[in-house]
Amino acid sequence: MNLETRLAWRNVWRNPRRTALSVAATVFAVFLVVLSIGMADGVHEKMIEDAVRLGSGHVAISGEGFRKNMTLEQFVPWDGRVEAALADAEGLRGWAPRISSFALLSLGDHSQGGMIIGIDPARESSVTEFSEKLAEGRFVAELTVPGTRELVLGRKLAAKLDAKLGDKVLLYGVAYSLETAYELFTLVGTLALPDPRMEKNLAIIHIADASDFYVYEGKITEVALLATDAAHTDGLRSSITAALGPELLGSLELQGYEELMPEIVQFILLDDAGMYATLIILVVVVGFGILNTILMAILERSHELGVVLALGLQPIKLFRMIYLESMMLAGVGLVIGLSLAVPLLAYLHGMEFPLSDELAKTTEFIGMEPMMTFKLGAMNPIGSTITILIVAAAAALYPAIKASRAKPVEALRSL
Amino acid sequence: MISSHGTLRGGFGAIAILLTWVALSLPTANAANIRELELEPAPASIDARELAHRSEDNMRSDRTFFRGKMTVVSPRLTRPRVVAFHSWEDRPAKKSLIRIDTPAKDKGSGFLKIHPNLWMYVPRVERTVRIPPSMMLQSWMGSDFSNDDLMRESSELEDYDHRVLGIDPATNGDVPRRAYVLEYKPHEDAAVVWGKIIAWLDVETGAPLRQDFYDEEGALLRVMRFSDYRTIGNRHVPHHWSMLPLEKPGHSTEIEIQEMQFDIEIDDDVFTTRNLKRRE
Repeated sequence: MNLETRLAWRNVWRNPRRTALSVAATVFAVFLVVLSIGMADGVHEKMIEDAVRLGSGHVAISGEGFRKNMTLEQFVPWDGRVEAALADAEGLRGWAPRISSFALLSLGDHSQGGMIIGIDPARESSVTEFSEKLAEGRFVAELTVPGTRELVLGRKLAAKLDAKLGDKVLLYGVAYSLETAYELFTLVGTLALPDPRMEKNLAIIHIADASDFYVYEGKITEVALLATDAAHTDGLRSSITAALGPELLGSLELQGYEELMPEIVQFILLDDAGMYATLIILVVVVGFGILNTILMAILERSHELGVVLALGLQPIKLFRMIYLESMMLAGVGLVIGLSLAVPLLAYLHGMEFPLSDELAKTTEFIGMEPMMTFKLGAMNPIGSTITILIVAAAAALYPAIKASRAKPVEALRSL
Repeated sequence: MISSHGTLRGGFGAIAILLTWVALSLPTANAANIRELELEPAPASIDARELAHRSEDNMRSDRTFFRGKMTVVSPRLTRPRVVAFHSWEDRPAKKSLIRIDTPAKDKGSGFLKIHPNLWMYVPRVERTVRIPPSMMLQSWMGSDFSNDDLMRESSELEDYDHRVLGIDPATNGDVPRRAYVLEYKPHEDAAVVWGKIIAWLDVETGAPLRQDFYDEEGALLRVMRFSDYRTIGNRHVPHHWSMLPLEKPGHSTEIEIQEMQFDIEIDDDVFTTRNLKRRE
């Protein structure tokens, strides 16, 4: 340790109480910043995870224009080529083929439009959690004898149709062949879902029945892909784009969850913006605290500073010493703050806490389970540290310059 | 990266939100594709509403029977889909019944309109279904017409204001004959799907020649052309209607009228859900 560093360190602790207060403010800020970001990261990740696991996955492969038109005309050829491309994909947790289209559902005097999703139950569970969201009954069976035609409805849709388990619900729509498509399906289960819109719209049937119903042999409307986690979405997409090859890709489109569910991405962006604005203000206030502490310190020591300058100390060395004092002040606060916040966040990481009923209404609005979670990501403490150091460095600039520019004669005379 | 991010990202997030907000509040460029029509001025004595009435009366009476064939062309079909049907309409009562004759799968299927409701009967499963508002814009029998189009009959007079734009001299191929060009604008509270309709009406006979349907943003969505005019009584009835849905390239739906009877007697029992199930 050179002389400047030693001197600076001693100077920091010359007024222990003032320094301790200043450090405490920094510790508090670091703690709050790291934990807030940890909670936002956790909640946002869960939000995305919940949404992709009840929707189209992280990435969806569909016929070009399917998202815009939502008609059977845009299809994915299901002849083994896409499946082969999926086998080589990296970062893929699961995938499921689907046939999605609109149909009219009717029972007795009740009728309701719905989103029909034909699924392969064995594959579907590798992507979505529909089969775990049963309100009553059971899920569509794995192997349907042709013509079994089982149906699972969102519970609000079932309620609107006044349908009980075992009822035969009429599905009526238009097939790919433009023929009318109508069949009776037996209700075997209902789903309780976090998203009320899905509870009102969703009707699940077996993909083989859907293929039959919509006269859609050798075609599907989409493949839902689940990445190992949200951060790997882009990697997964490019890996699959490469594996599909230009010929297949020509008539297909791959979309990430950001495009599939823009409302969630926007919600997160908005939520983050609000939180970061508050945290930045907090950090800036801490910066002013440091500025004030050091400014007070050099004011107290103007006589002393005048002496050393008069004795011929280079102003640049004085600048460095004062600067070091500020950084030490921030550094001590940072180290203590991080050593409190990071282990706590590591402990909370992945734990889920149920929310109160009122907050639960908000999360229901965005289609998420009412749970609070935390996540410790590397960027959180690193980003927080860098930000606080930058603010401290900016705050230190003024007192350090002021001290190094002091005129020895004037400084000696003061105090 | 969404899951773990530094503080910097929040700054960019805030800027992104600000930019989005600014972008959204700017007036968007209107992607209208309204062609400039080269029109001659129409005589001032021409009354738009009367013209619209005359056009309507060419095609229907208070009680009308009608037998037709609908041909649906689509890039996904190797052969066009043909649907034969017949219908009864009681215009003042706002009731109508459509019965499908072919294809075999749909034989006996029926659609009963009693304003503002629409029922459908599917004989093979013996179910009567009221079509909910959410399904109104779905395709009717696989055609480019929607269920809403069945309901919309006669609303072109009730739900719209009419204005004469001029006379199309029929020199640029828009229409085969000299035609009054009318603009139909929906009343503000009217529950219609169109932003406006431009109609060409034959100057001589008053019969409709063509209708262009625009959405609320001013984009042309649908062109309907009429041809094969035959005289029934004092009416000039187009026996061939062709509809081009512009947002669906390669698709078209044509209707050929095979039989039309005006001003007939129709028993009111025809328009009942009981009769709907009778499959005839």
